[in-house]
Amino acid sequence: MGTATAKKMDPVLAELVSIVGAENATNAKHIRYAYSYDLSFVEPKLPDYVVMVHNVEQIQGVLRFANREKIPVVPYTAGTNIGGLCIPERGGILMDLKRMNKIIEIDPESLVAVIEPGVSHAQLAAALYEHNLRFGWPVGPPSASVASCAISHGIGGMNARYGLQSQEITSMEVVLPTGELVRVGSCAINPDAWHSVLPLPQMDGLFKGWLGTTGVVTKLGINVHHIPPVLKIFTVSCDTVEDMYSYMLNLSNYEICDDLTAVSWWLSQVPIPYPYKPMPAGASEWFSYATTYSFTEKEREARVEIWEKVVAEEKAKGTSIQVTHYPEEALAARTKLPSQIVGSTKNYCKQGGAGISWPGTFTPAKKWAPVYNDWKKILIEHNLSPSVRMSMYRGVHYGMLRAMIPFNKQSKQETENARHAIVECLKVDLAHGGMPYKPPVDFAREINGRAHPGYLSLLKQIKALLDPNDIMNPGKLGI
Amino acid sequence: MEWHIPSLKELEHFIWRCTACGTCKVAYDYGPPSTCADICPAGTEFGFEGAMASKGKIAFARGILDGSLEWDEDLINSVYQCTICGGCQSQCQLDHKPYIPEIIEGMRREAVEAGAGPLPAHKNLVQSLKSYNNPYQGPRRLRTDWARPFKKAGQPIKDLNKESAPVMFFVGCTGAFNQASRQIPQATASVFQKLGLDFGILGENEVCCGSTAMRVGDAAEFKRIAEHNLELFAKMHKERGVNTIVSSCAGCYRAIKKDYALAADYDKLMDGIKVVHTSEFLYDLHRQGKLPLSGGLQLTVTYHDPCHIGRHLNKFIVDTEGKELWPGAYVGLDESECLYDQPRELLKAIPGVKLEEMKRVRANSYCCGGGGGVMTGFGEWATKNAGLRVAEGESTGAGVMVSTCPFCNYNLGQGAKRIGSAMQVLDLVELIDQVLPKK
Ligand SMILES: Cc1cc2nc3c(=O)[nH]c(=O)nc-3n(C[C@H](O)[C@H](O)[C@H](O)COP(=O)(O)OP(=O)(O)OC[C@H]3O[C@@H](n4cnc5c(N)ncnc54)[C@H](O)[C@@H]3O)c2cc1C
Ligand code: SF4
Ligand code: SF4
Repeated sequence: MGTATAKKMDPVLAELVSIVGAENATNAKHIRYAYSYDLSFVEPKLPDYVVMVHNVEQIQGVLRFANREKIPVVPYTAGTNIGGLCIPERGGILMDLKRMNKIIEIDPESLVAVIEPGVSHAQLAAALYEHNLRFGWPVGPPSASVASCAISHGIGGMNARYGLQSQEITSMEVVLPTGELVRVGSCAINPDAWHSVLPLPQMDGLFKGWLGTTGVVTKLGINVHHIPPVLKIFTVSCDTVEDMYSYMLNLSNYEICDDLTAVSWWLSQVPIPYPYKPMPAGASEWFSYATTYSFTEKEREARVEIWEKVVAEEKAKGTSIQVTHYPEEALAARTKLPSQIVGSTKNYCKQGGAGISWPGTFTPAKKWAPVYNDWKKILIEHNLSPSVRMSMYRGVHYGMLRAMIPFNKQSKQETENARHAIVECLKVDLAHGGMPYKPPVDFAREINGRAHPGYLSLLKQIKALLDPNDIMNPGKLGI
Repeated sequence: MEWHIPSLKELEHFIWRCTACGTCKVAYDYGPPSTCADICPAGTEFGFEGAMASKGKIAFARGILDGSLEWDEDLINSVYQCTICGGCQSQCQLDHKPYIPEIIEGMRREAVEAGAGPLPAHKNLVQSLKSYNNPYQGPRRLRTDWARPFKKAGQPIKDLNKESAPVMFFVGCTGAFNQASRQIPQATASVFQKLGLDFGILGENEVCCGSTAMRVGDAAEFKRIAEHNLELFAKMHKERGVNTIVSSCAGCYRAIKKDYALAADYDKLMDGIKVVHTSEFLYDLHRQGKLPLSGGLQLTVTYHDPCHIGRHLNKFIVDTEGKELWPGAYVGLDESECLYDQPRELLKAIPGVKLEEMKRVRANSYCCGGGGGVMTGFGEWATKNAGLRVAEGESTGAGVMVSTCPFCNYNLGQGAKRIGSAMQVLDLVELIDQVLPKK
């Protein structure tokens, strides 16, 4: 960038240039501007510098310097987290990791892949496909980072079977805010062993769910899985959220699905109606798709048998369940992953325009119905569609409860309207024991306001231990 | 003449449809098998999000419109570090998709109007257009140098200024003035003569198509040239019976077909005139059994889709009045005018030629790196990027990379040299010329 070579160079920039090279460090305003906003309602803020790092040594160099000078550092891979998590609260250095995109290893026998943070879902999907392997792809942009999703407790297409993306992590290499290189999991004991974080103390927890505030992950081991050849997708509809919950609970007990998800009518539309529009008369309010993979036809038949039994039981209970056709494009968007349809936000934002945010939560399944009913009221009052998704995690009766809220970001008023509705929805969910994921600062404040004092104290102690000068993505934890 | 060339402000609504999702950063296809590859030459070279695909360019547009960004050297450079290849546009699915190249060019027009753009090298180019009616500072009398061998051989090409012919071969400035590209108009004319086609050229009176002026944001210069050409074409139709304009240059073809169509009088002036690219023209003859290819070449080739006759010819279906969706909603894509199949079918029709496809083709073709004023503004980068494309071609096992644009052809040739590749870069007409017998 031109400014990097300007005659009188800013001393911070000069130091960054000496670490990453002139082509990879800048303080040019237009480059900083492009990192100042994301899809969410979070207010734009500019970093003061941007660096693109290419290796661990450069990351160490930048962090040592930033730690010495107490300059904030924000790790960034694609910035698609929908929570403003890469928008710098206090300026500083935005560290773009997209060029660290090596797939270090795919071990088809041990079913482990080792990746750098810049590896995208699209890139890994293509590479794994060559081994007939897969990962739990999220319904997000194909260009977003696998590692960032995993360390942020992301959600993917195999959550009903294997749990969250973070539960697939097998080992990690991390640069601490002080510049120290550490490893957790089996790779800490033998540099070539990336198969498991257990039975050692689970120190990977120090870097998962911390929103980039405790260090920069430089290598990640993840479990990958075979692609069984036979896919069957079960699709049903129900008139009420209660009926849908009943079906999902019943089916999840058999643990036969990779993904067990239901979406409200508004979310099944491509795109979500914006502003709110009522459902057409006679339409079902809830649709479910559940993916199940089999190695043989016989296995598929056995899975179908279970599903048919569940449907029959639900019918016998007198619920409104119907075996139905799921809108085609919406189904493709959620089962052919990674997907450009969802990735480009076509199904979410095409009508709303530029903005999208969510109350995205982990909520006990038995609270889905009451929370949804309250959310629906709040959202309709704000003239927003109650486009809600419920997904079961690993056969355990809790999971994702999330309202995808598109809005017109060109309008400050409409953005604030969405923000207000979303925060109100979040309060309802927190009251029912739900917990937001990838929380923007607005959410973090709501969480911390309710937290046990011991939780907050421990959080602060760990953060201070790892990041004594509070340089890593400061402000994001709301503490 | 009245023109509908939108200003950046007029595109503001569409600029605010971009969610910054970044899907435009990679060419990804679910498959199966799924494939993924870089699509943005600017992103590949410069890496920062602002440099990356339409996500980055739209960020600049937003910043310019909301007053956050002022024209300085860095911003100007970044706005011109884009080949306007449309690779990013192929990935996006939202309502601004049809306008992505217009948004990028809209920024450049804004820069030119503010006196900040184009780049100094582009200014020379525009000055050359003004002085010489071509971007190569080529004196008018040299424009027909490429045609000398035909005269020498006693087969002069008709001069439309003096004689009538139904087909006008619009040569284009690169073919005429760039020595390294001359074989393209020569092969085209040779093929036409072998086919016994009644065609002519404008000779020294041909002027640039104006594409380069438009791409670098100088709308005034573009309009001057385009108006001249539109009126000349209408005159040629009326006075010389021209009913088909054939172009062997993807850039000229795109300009005449798409950019000129922004003139309110386009339909009136072009009434009765068809504009076709050589690959389309020859393919039609081939389909009718009128292209008798013989002999054999024993070549393994790969085909590079030029952006300007590929995805730039997409027609976007937009619900302008909101009858189906809402006003301005992007409904779908009509690729019927994109010349993806025609060149491939012709290659396959050449006896002995084996076509091996690269990973990035058709709508996901990886730009050679020369377009959008990049070859002039950032020559070193253009060649480096072309080297990447040639390397992709090499990976197919092909020994020849075929294209259908003198601009791509030249840049890819330079790229091959840069990486020390033995890849031969040829235009489709050059191969056809080799296997088309004399009548
Ligand atoms: C339309 C849409 C749909 C989505 N659907 C899903 C979904 O189904 N499931 C899901 O999980 N997500 C979803 N997301 C969110 C997001 O796309 C994913 O979580 C994504 O993988 C995040 O990757 P990223 O590269 O954008 O991360 P970023 O946004 O760049 O980073 C995310 C967080 O990780 C931190 N970080 C980045 N790199 C590092 C590092 N190396 N070390 C430490 N911290 C780091 C950042 O500071 C930030 O806090 C969706 C997003 C969109 C736009
Ligand atoms: S241009 Fe389209 S694909 Fe690219 S970031 Fe914007 S919305 Fe996403
Ligand atoms: S038009 Fe081409 S070079 Fe320009 S941003 Fe898009 S993909 Fe990149």
